[in-house]
Amino acid sequence: MSDAQDKELRALQAALAAEHAAVYGYGVVGGRIGERRRTEARTAYDAHRARRDALVRDVKDVGGTPVAAAAGYALPFPVPDAAAAVRLAAELEMRVAGVYADLVRSSGGERRRSAAEAMREAAVRSVRWSGESVAFPGLAERSGTAPGGPAPAP
Amino acid sequence: MSFPLSPRARSGPRRRSLLAAAPAALLVAGCSAGSDDPGGPAPARPSAAERTRARAARDSRALAARYDAVAAAHPKLAERLRPLRADVVRHAEAFEGGADGSASPAVSAAPSVEATAAAAPSSSPSASGSPAVPASEKDALAQLAAAEREIADRRAEELVTAPAELARLLASVSASGAAHVYLLTEARR
Repeated sequence: MSDAQDKELRALQAALAAEHAAVYGYGVVGGRIGERRRTEARTAYDAHRARRDALVRDVKDVGGTPVAAAAGYALPFPVPDAAAAVRLAAELEMRVAGVYADLVRSSGGERRRSAAEAMREAAVRSVRWSGESVAFPGLAERSGTAPGGPAPAP
Repeated sequence: MSFPLSPRARSGPRRRSLLAAAPAALLVAGCSAGSDDPGGPAPARPSAAERTRARAARDSRALAARYDAVAAAHPKLAERLRPLRADVVRHAEAFEGGADGSASPAVSAAPSVEATAAAAPSSSPSASGSPAVPASEKDALAQLAAAEREIADRRAEELVTAPAELARLLASVSASGAAHVYLLTEARR
């Protein structure tokens, strides 16, 4: 496997892992979000499941073994209510945008186009949740602040 | 529907963080920093990349000028538009500065007349080349949104053949523009 292919596979696996986490996270969001925005959460949940499934196929296409979802995930902060659920949803989307940004860089052609599209959808959803625009979604080095994401659970 | 509700217990060897992907992503970033070639099916020549970058900068400058025009014509919108305009200026600066710190030569800071006019096909260009700001706030926002969308779509196309780092920047800025469209058209704040 060439260096470029290896980078692409790693970026695909990272995107897949992030989509696994997003699917899990939206499960939490869906349980806390409240009636008013539940449909929106459900739509996002379905979108991430579809992206996850597409990435599984992509990883296989380039000869990899798709990373599996974890049994559980540590949340970045407590999610006791609808307001926290909205913040979690926005955070999940920003994280997903970040891994797709790396996939854009590491891939080409249709796969790159698709990654950019996924990134765009994530950025729009993030803004829908947060109401705040972001100049460089997915580019941590330009965000000015370190992503306040969840920490690995030992 | 199957929303699994509660995360598992606080510790356990099988648990992974929501951030589990981040170190891998950083690794990828580290490995390809400074390398602009992997990926693209048709690697763009430097001159093509420079043209893409320069055009992107001009587009963002022209867009910022349109935000100014709308804010001037509709002062009540100014507060709402300010953060979006600030994003657009940062986009221009990113393209002018170069994604990897390399300077981009010959980037004009002046708004591009063609980009401005092309961005709003439904409006009639004024003598200066900028379309007139519609009299109603709603129409003015719609026109801005149309300009954002047109530019975001163009960047989504250009990134397919751009060098890797520039493609990543174009993807991010295009995503930001798409989010602006949402904020300009659908958000009720």
